[in-house]
Amino acid sequence: MAEASLSRVTPPSMVGVVARKEFTEIIRDGRFKWTAIIMVMLLLTALATGWQKYTAYSEVQAAAQGETNHQWLKQGDKNPHSAAHYGNYAFKQAGPLSFFDNGIEPYTGNLLFMEAHKQNLAISRPANDSSAVSRFGDLNGAMILQVLMPLLIIFLGFTAFSGEKERGTLRQLLSMGVNQRDLLWGKAIGIGGAALLAIVPCIVLGALVLSMLQISHTADNFAARVGLMALIYTGYGLVFLFLTLGVSALSSSPRTSLIALVGFWAFSVFMVPKSAAEISKAVYPSPSWGEFQATMRADQVRGLDGVPTAAKLGKYVRELMKQYNVDSPTKLPLYFPAVRMQKLEEFDHEVFDHHYNGLRDTYMAQRRLQDAFGIMDPLMSLKSLSMGLSGSDLLHHDRYTRSAEEHRRMMVSKMNGYLSKAAVDLNGVSSSSNYMTADEAVFSIVPSFSYTPPTLEEVTKEYGSAFAILAAWVLASIVFAAAAVGRVRKVSA
Amino acid sequence: MYSLIVAHETRTLAKTPSLLWILLLLTAAIAFGAWASSSVFERQSQGATAISNYENGMRTKMHDDLAKYEEKVKASGGKMEFAAVNHAPGEGPPQATNAGAVGSETESFAVLPPTGLAALSIGQSDLNLNYIPVSMKNIIDATKDNEIENPVNLKAGSFDIAFVIIFLLPIFIMAMSYDLLSSEKERGTLAMVMSHPISLRKLMASKLVSRIAILLAVVIAFGVGAVMAVGSELNQAETWARFGFWLGATVLYSIFWFALAVLVNAAGKSSATNGIVLAGSWLAFVVVIPTIVSVVTSTLYPAPSRLDFIAASREAQTAAEFERMKALDQYYYDHLELVPGGEDKANDFLTLSLANNASIEKAIKPLYDEFQNQLNRQEDAVTKFQFVSPAIMMQLAMNEVAGTSADRYENFMKQVFKFHAQWGEFFTGRFLKRDPLTTEEWKQIPTFKYVEEPFSDVLARLMPSLLGLLVVVAALTAFAFSSLRKYRVAAR
Repeated sequence: MAEASLSRVTPPSMVGVVARKEFTEIIRDGRFKWTAIIMVMLLLTALATGWQKYTAYSEVQAAAQGETNHQWLKQGDKNPHSAAHYGNYAFKQAGPLSFFDNGIEPYTGNLLFMEAHKQNLAISRPANDSSAVSRFGDLNGAMILQVLMPLLIIFLGFTAFSGEKERGTLRQLLSMGVNQRDLLWGKAIGIGGAALLAIVPCIVLGALVLSMLQISHTADNFAARVGLMALIYTGYGLVFLFLTLGVSALSSSPRTSLIALVGFWAFSVFMVPKSAAEISKAVYPSPSWGEFQATMRADQVRGLDGVPTAAKLGKYVRELMKQYNVDSPTKLPLYFPAVRMQKLEEFDHEVFDHHYNGLRDTYMAQRRLQDAFGIMDPLMSLKSLSMGLSGSDLLHHDRYTRSAEEHRRMMVSKMNGYLSKAAVDLNGVSSSSNYMTADEAVFSIVPSFSYTPPTLEEVTKEYGSAFAILAAWVLASIVFAAAAVGRVRKVSA
Repeated sequence: MYSLIVAHETRTLAKTPSLLWILLLLTAAIAFGAWASSSVFERQSQGATAISNYENGMRTKMHDDLAKYEEKVKASGGKMEFAAVNHAPGEGPPQATNAGAVGSETESFAVLPPTGLAALSIGQSDLNLNYIPVSMKNIIDATKDNEIENPVNLKAGSFDIAFVIIFLLPIFIMAMSYDLLSSEKERGTLAMVMSHPISLRKLMASKLVSRIAILLAVVIAFGVGAVMAVGSELNQAETWARFGFWLGATVLYSIFWFALAVLVNAAGKSSATNGIVLAGSWLAFVVVIPTIVSVVTSTLYPAPSRLDFIAASREAQTAAEFERMKALDQYYYDHLELVPGGEDKANDFLTLSLANNASIEKAIKPLYDEFQNQLNRQEDAVTKFQFVSPAIMMQLAMNEVAGTSADRYENFMKQVFKFHAQWGEFFTGRFLKRDPLTTEEWKQIPTFKYVEEPFSDVLARLMPSLLGLLVVVAALTAFAFSSLRKYRVAAR
């Protein structure tokens, strides 16, 4: 209470005094030292393994894409349509900040086979090639800040008011005329500063990693992404900081404040995310692989509109014959098998779009519903924002799979288109026995696969509401803490 | 004295509103977990049924064509002919007479049925495809597919009963026991109790007995309830044997957390400090250590890159094509209906394509095996490292009990490969001989039936986890109770 008496000499700087007292008290505590050291070690390990995984993946991804592109060109002389069957693979890019938050990347396929006639699902999910223990969670920077940081803050701050209450020093402080707002902000700054001590080394290392990775050249608005990331995690930390102070002020003893806070932490970090996922599955059911394939295969035959594909094709052929004024498809000035295959391909597009977009929309709806749980759990909002900014969320995965499908359609129609013209030029007549081969020069009319991940603007648009909810949490927790601390005087008075 | 304290503690506990809340939350969590995990398996079995029905429907249609054709041939007194493979419908004998067409253009789904207790732990079964399409085509291709689910949900993980037991139950236990002694000490009642002829250890034991009894009564009652509600094969002894092991593991795991609370209390710190230490240990055992074990095992035995695997299998494909096919053949093998020069040639292309498939499969099988081996090494490493955290031991034990372990899936895949070979054998011979398939032979088309592994195998895998838990719990309990000796009853 040397600090308190000091405050009488210099009344205006109460916030600073309280902050200094809290800060010094915490960093002198041996328990804090150990907790901080463990946390720094974990964060460093997480960032290091994240960085290692990111660079290893990016190298392999670029090499594999280069190799299959090469294989596409060097597949050997063959019919252009066969070349489309041979196809190519689209490999997924790692998100720009996925070394920090790899989001859903372990659970999404990172390669997609692009071939004639079929739209495929992305396959090769890292989680499928991992042991069951991987389901306990991934050790990465985001996980540590999302799960461990709040607990650290709780440990540092749960006695802030309840401890002083128990010791009787709070009454003393207030009787000296200390403004409780100063008290709140002072404690917030002191505890927040101590928590930062455990995180700053990692931020420095993170910055170092970033400068080494040189991803800033490829990602859209990279600096802004990093800045926003820092902002949302700070916001999340503030929510727990003020909740801790508020609960501490309301509690009669440190143990009740601890139990309440740890309970809320377990609730928000472990209970809500899983419950929200289960509930979203029940509200918006998504098909299993078997159902998805079965309905899609059936729709390919019977048509989405109930008109069988065979009937549609017949109608198309009749129109084509009428257009060219011929009485048999073989008399068309086009290589009919290629035209037919391309048309069938286009009929399938509708079916594929219906099913694949439906699947994506269901997933998005599930995710948005889970985001709504942000109202009772700030982590839900933070998670979505963090994944979005990292480029390891559904939005980025969807862009990848959609780009691959666009590329596939382009590849197939280029090959069929070439065949339909070149084959008929071959000997002037169109017949199914009119075959031809193409070589590398023809295959090279299909450009290599590449895609542009969503821009920062698209990310902020998708997750705007999550950001608003998180901001509301920050405000609400400050208001709550202020109100709780305000009540202290009434109780003590 | 002993029973008096147990009775007193039980009565006091029963009147604590927080305990009521804890038990209510626990039962709600178990019920929610049972519902959630049973819906996962329901969805999977619906998927297996839907796609099996679709493919079986295709085959039934072929069979009906065949039966009609057979009738016609019998009536006219002719001989059955062998159809050319043709993707487009046409005249002549039906496709079903061609074993190659039936065997390569329809799929038969090999299904891994969930055990009766699958709902207890989802494990990796939300990721793996539990029904594999088998045809004459390359089987490695068929293993590429995964069960589909929103990756956001996969990341969140399942709210299954294993989650309730491994993650939530310890929290409830700690909430019930973090202040076992410290609260009495803080209230000053401990010194009073200790003035009676009872040792501190006996007091502690009786406090624990009442708590464990209440908690386990609820867990067992709701565990049995959950199994009755969402379990299956309840008339089989094996199901209940599995459930017995589940109970045993759960009891051991609960005692671990109670013993930890005793140990922390024995240090004689305040309730708040006990709370911090226990919450920290929970975080370490349940979250931090498992994720570190995961990082360590996947760093020691990294899965080979799927990306490399794809590049290599393409290489094999190109090589096979170069070897067997002229440039044009490839086209026809993709589109048999376009084959010029008669129907016999179409069959030749199918022959070629099957041979191609076989050589690609041969080329990439070693790569595939390397994947499996590496995954096995990872699993083996986890089996060794599991002893560092009771949560890992528990998870492995629960996956075994529920039949959602990696080993059971591997056993299933072995049977799938065998079935694929059987399927190929049945159709290839008939196809190569150009023997028209008859309805009589149709009845012999192989079907897949999963053969459950012997229970002794399950037990053998279950034992390390259970024994590990037992040893850890026994040691911790002994240590905790012996450290009570140094406990100071009265504040200095």
